[in-house]
Amino acid sequence: MPEVNVNGHAYAVHGAVGTTLAEALRDELSLTGTKVACGEGHCGACTVLVDGIPTLSCITLVHAVDGAKVTTIEGLRDHPMVYSFVRADALQCGFCTPGQIISAVALVDSKAAPSTEEIRHAMAGNLCRCGAYPKIEEAIRTWQD
Amino acid sequence: MARLIRTEKEVEGRFEEVWLVVEEDALQQWPAGAREVVGQPATRVDGLERARGEAVYTADLKLPGMLHTAVLRCPYAHARVARIDLTPALARPGVHGAIGPRDIPQLEEECGYQGTAVAAVAADTFEQARAAVAAIEIEWEQLEPVLDPDEAIARKQLVGEPRERSRGDLEAGLAEADIVVEGEYRTQVVLQSSLETHQSVVQWVGDTIEVYTSTQNIWGVREEVSAALEIPGDKVRVVCHYMGGGFGSKNDADDFTFIAIELAKRTARPVRCALTRREENIASGNRNATIQRLTIGAKADGTLTALGGEYVNATGWGGWSTPVEGPMQQLYSCPNVKTTTWGAKINQPPMKPFRAPGFVEGTFGLESLIDVLAGKLDMDPLELRRKNYAGNDPSDDRPYSGKNLMECYRRAEPHWERRHDVRARSTDTVKRGVGMASQVWYGGGGPPSYAWIRVGSDGHATVVTAMQDIGTGSKTAMAQIAAEELGIPLDHVTVTIGDSARGPYASLSAGSSTIPSMGPAVRAAAADAKRQIIEIAAQRFDLEERVLDITVGNVVSADGNLTVPLTEVLGLLESAQILGKGARGPNPTGMTVLTFGVQVAEVAVDVETGEVWVDRIAAIHDVGRVINPLGAESQIEGGIIQGIGHTLSEHRLHDPRTGQILTTGLDAYKLPTIADVPEIVSELIDQPDEHLTNLGSKGLGEPPIIPTAAAIANAIRDATGAEVHELPISREEMLRALKEAKERGRIGAPKEREGHRAPAGV
Amino acid sequence: MRDIELRQASSTTDVDGATPIHGGTEVVPLIRAGLLKADTLVDIRGVIPRGIDGARIGAGATLAELECDPQVPAALREACKLAASPQLRNMGSVGGNLLQATRCWYWRLDWPCRLHGGDECFARDGEHREHAIIANDFCASAHPSDVAAALLALDATLRTNRRELPIADLYRLPTEDDRRTTTLESGELILELNVPEPEGSVYLKAMERKRWAFPMVGVAAARSSGVTRVALAGVAPIPWLLQGGLDQATPLPRNAYKLDVAKTLVQRAETALNGG
Repeated sequence: MPEVNVNGHAYAVHGAVGTTLAEALRDELSLTGTKVACGEGHCGACTVLVDGIPTLSCITLVHAVDGAKVTTIEGLRDHPMVYSFVRADALQCGFCTPGQIISAVALVDSKAAPSTEEIRHAMAGNLCRCGAYPKIEEAIRTWQD
Repeated sequence: MARLIRTEKEVEGRFEEVWLVVEEDALQQWPAGAREVVGQPATRVDGLERARGEAVYTADLKLPGMLHTAVLRCPYAHARVARIDLTPALARPGVHGAIGPRDIPQLEEECGYQGTAVAAVAADTFEQARAAVAAIEIEWEQLEPVLDPDEAIARKQLVGEPRERSRGDLEAGLAEADIVVEGEYRTQVVLQSSLETHQSVVQWVGDTIEVYTSTQNIWGVREEVSAALEIPGDKVRVVCHYMGGGFGSKNDADDFTFIAIELAKRTARPVRCALTRREENIASGNRNATIQRLTIGAKADGTLTALGGEYVNATGWGGWSTPVEGPMQQLYSCPNVKTTTWGAKINQPPMKPFRAPGFVEGTFGLESLIDVLAGKLDMDPLELRRKNYAGNDPSDDRPYSGKNLMECYRRAEPHWERRHDVRARSTDTVKRGVGMASQVWYGGGGPPSYAWIRVGSDGHATVVTAMQDIGTGSKTAMAQIAAEELGIPLDHVTVTIGDSARGPYASLSAGSSTIPSMGPAVRAAAADAKRQIIEIAAQRFDLEERVLDITVGNVVSADGNLTVPLTEVLGLLESAQILGKGARGPNPTGMTVLTFGVQVAEVAVDVETGEVWVDRIAAIHDVGRVINPLGAESQIEGGIIQGIGHTLSEHRLHDPRTGQILTTGLDAYKLPTIADVPEIVSELIDQPDEHLTNLGSKGLGEPPIIPTAAAIANAIRDATGAEVHELPISREEMLRALKEAKERGRIGAPKEREGHRAPAGV
Repeated sequence: MRDIELRQASSTTDVDGATPIHGGTEVVPLIRAGLLKADTLVDIRGVIPRGIDGARIGAGATLAELECDPQVPAALREACKLAASPQLRNMGSVGGNLLQATRCWYWRLDWPCRLHGGDECFARDGEHREHAIIANDFCASAHPSDVAAALLALDATLRTNRRELPIADLYRLPTEDDRRTTTLESGELILELNVPEPEGSVYLKAMERKRWAFPMVGVAAARSSGVTRVALAGVAPIPWLLQGGLDQATPLPRNAYKLDVAKTLVQRAETALNGG
C-alpha cells in the first residue's frame, strides 16, 4: 500500500490504482484546498508540490507518488505568500488561488526576487479566469514586504 | 412608512415594470471623495480563507451519504431519442437511482443542441455513475442541424421576436450625409469558463429542500425551485457562501439542480450534480456569436446623421437575444437611428449572459466603424467622439442621472497623446499604434434589496443579507459601507451572506448590480442602527440626539465635550442588540441611469506573422462613487483581461458539418494566461451620481470588458492600416486584413491617415 | 480508471505487454479520456536515464531540466522553454514528449478518424484551422512536439533498449495499412538522446497565446559544418524536416495562414543563424 507524506503527515493510500493525487487529497484526506477545475492537466488549479516541485495533482496517479513529500495549500497556511496574495488583492473568486500560491511559493523558493519575466514564465500554467494576474504578479514581487 | 410604487427594473439591458414596496430613505449622500472607510482601499474581508483553501465552495461540499451524479447528454447537435432503457444502468454497482426523459422537464427526448440533458444516474461515486450512464441503452434518430444563423432567420427559426428600434428617419439621415461608411463585423462564441463548474448539492430535510449551489442568484434559484416543486419559497433553502466564478452564466437553477433534486427525492440521500469541464464547455452557456451589418452617415465636419444596424444574434437553441444594438442606440447623439436585431435559433447550446452581453459585441462593431469613419473624414477619433457626445439620452431625451463621459475623454488625452511616440517606435516588421473605444452600459441596480444589521454591546456589527459574493468583492464593499455609516472600524464589521434562510431578500449578482442594489440597503440598515444608538446615548448622557454622532468607534457631541467609546454606550446592553433594517429605494424617475468609460489600447503587430501584442491599456470609467478603489482596480483589470481573451485567443469551435463542439477542454479553448497581460492603467472618475440612491454608486463588474476589443482593433488599424472585421483577431484574420490593406496600398503609410500630424522632431 | 495494475519496471526489458508511464502527463489524461486502454501500467522512472552529460541526455530528463541547462543547444532549450506549461515541463520527460499524440480535436474526442483506424479524416472537410499544411492528405493532424522539431533540426540520435536510430526514423506518416505515427515497437523504450553540439541553433514558435499553447508553427534551425537543417512542429502529422522549401505544402482552406507564418519563421530562423 503506497504511503504519501502530506504536509508532514504520513498517509496510507487506500484508493484503487488510477486514483489521482487530487482525488486522494480531496476525497480521502478531505484536504479540499486543492481545487480541480479541468481534471485534464490544463489549468493548474490542482497544483501541489511533490518533493518541492509544482505538479498537477489531477493527472498524477497517487500510486506514482509513493514515498514522496506532498505539500498542499493546507501546509502553507501561514506562508508569507498567502498574506501577500490577500494584501495585493491577488484573488477574486479564489478558486484558482491555492494553485497559484503553490506555484508562487515554488518560484520564490528557487529565487527570492524573481523578475517580471520570470514570474510570467513560472506562473503561465495557472489560469485565473477572473483575471487577477496583475495583482498576482504584484503579490509575488512584494511577498517579502 | 411603506409606500407602494410602480417602477422600472433593469437587468442586463432587459426592462420590466414591477410593483414595489419601498421605505422612505431620508439619507443624504456623503460628500464626494474618500471617507474614513468608504473610498479607501480595503483588502478582501474573506481573502484569507479563500487564499488558504479553507473556503468551502459547492465543489468542496461533502454531505454524509452524498451520492454523485453523471448526466447523459445528447452527443449530437440535433437528435431525437428513439428508444431509451435505463434498466442496465440501475443494475450497475453503486447505483441508487436513474431518471430519464419525462421524469422531469429538464430531461428531454427532443434535443436541439449537443449537451441537452437526457438522463441521469446517482451512484456512490462519480466513476460508478459515469459507468452506469455508459450502460444506458439508447438509440438516436439524428436530425439535420441548422447551424447558419442567416439560414435560421430565413426559415423564421427565431428566439424571440425581431427587435426594431428606430428614431428619426434613417434614409433621410443617410441622404443628408456627406459620407457613408459600411461594415460587416462578426464576433465568435466565447465561454464564461468559470473555474468552478456549474453544480449543486441538494438534500431534503423534512419538507424543506436545501440547495447548495454555485450561483449568482440565490433568490432566483429559490424562486425557480419553489415554483417547479410547487412548495412555499421558505421550504427552499439556497446556500452559496463562496463561488468559483460565474460571469453571467450562473443566474439560473439549471438542469443539474433539478436533476439533483429529483434524484435526492428518489434515493432519500443528499445528491451532488456537477458538470465536468467538458460538459461546462458545451452545456453551461456561452456568449453567442453575432453578425453586425452596420452603416454610419456623417457630415463632413463629423456630425453623425445616420446610424443603421442589422444585427443577428446566433443565440443557439434557447436563451434570449441580447441588446447587441444597445451601443448604436445609446452611445452617440444622432437623430436618425434604426436597428433591427434578430435572434437566430440554431442547433447550438443556448447562450447565457456573459459580462455585458450584447454590448461587448455591439461596441466592437460600432466603435470599429466609427474609427473607419474618422479615417475617411481625416478626423481625430477622439474629436469625432466628442463631437457626437450625447448630453441627454438620445433615445428619449431624458436626462442622465449622472454622466461624466466627457471627463473620461479628458482624462484619456494623455494616454491618447502617446500615439505619436508609440507609432514612432514601429519597425519594418513590427508596427505599433494606439486605438480607443467608448463604453456605455447599465449598472444602476435597483430595488428590491434588503439588509439587516445587528450591533452588539462590544461595538461590533454584523450585516446580514442573503446576497452572494461571486468574487467581485461585494462582501467587502458592504462591510465598508456599514463601517462608514456606523462610524466604526472596518474590522469591527462582519458580513453574513450566502443563505436564503439566514437573511432578507437580496439582489442577484448580475448586470453590475450588487453594489448599487445592495449598498444603499446596507447603508440604510446601518443608519437605522446608528439612529437607535444615538437615541440611547442621548438618553444616557442627557443630550439632544441632533448633537450626537458616531465616529471612529466613539459617540461624540458636536461641541466636542463628549467622547465616549461606543462600547461604553452599548455595554449597557449586555446581550441585548441594536437591530437595524434597510431597503433599497427606487431609481430616480424620468432619468436614464448608465455607466460610461473609455479605453485606450496600445498594440504592436508583427505584419509578417500576424502576431498581436497588447502592450498597454488605459481604462477610465465613470461608475459613480467608488466604495473600494483596490477592489475596483481588480474588477477593471479582470474585465480587460477577459476582453483580451475575447479579442485574441478565445473561440469555441464546432464541426461545420455536424455542429458538434470541438473545443471542450482548456487546452483547445484558450483563456489568457499571465503572460498575455499588458500594462493596465485604471482610473475612476469617482463622482457620486447625485440622483442615484443614498450612495451614488453604480456597478463596475461589466463596464471594463466592453470597449477592450474595439480599442485593440482600432489600435491595430492605427498601427497597420488593416481593418479587422472578426473576433477573435486570429493570425488568420490578422493576416487577411493585412493583405487587404496592402492591396489598398495603404500599408506603410499609416501616418497619412486620420489627420495625424506627428509633432516636430518625430 | 478501474482495474488497472501498476508495477515498477525492474529493468528496461521489463515492460512487455504493459503501458510504460513516466511523468504521466499524456498517459494519464488519455486513459481517463478513454483513448488509451491499459490494463497494466509499468512505471519506468527507475530505469530510464535522467542526467544531462554534454551531448548525452537521459530520456527521463524533464523539459524543466533541459530548458535551463547551458549544456543543451539553444534550439532545444528554447523549444523546452516554450513548450506546455511550467507544471507539465516539471512532470514530463523529454522521451515522453517525443511520443505525445496529436492535439487534433477530432482524434482527442475519439471521432472514428483515420488515426483511430477509421476511414475518414474529419478535419480535412471540417474544422482544421490548427491542422497540418504538409503531408496532410491521408490525415491532417498536426504533431505538437516543439522538442521533436528541435531535435530533428539538431540531427539527434536516439538510443532505445533495442537500437540506435536518427530521430527522423522515429516517426512515420500514418498510412492506410498502418496508422501509427512512430516506429517504436511494443516494449521498446527511448533511453537516451545524443544531441551533437551545433555551431548554432534557434527555435521560433508561433502560438495563440504568449505561453502555454501547442505550436501553431514551430521552426527549429541548426547549423553544423556549415549546413543548416530546418525542422517544423505543428505543420504535419509528424515533426517535419524541411527539404526543398515549403512549396510542397498543401494547406487546407482554413489553414493557409499557417504557411505564411511558417515561411516567415523559416526565413527568420535562417537569418538568425547566419549572423542575424
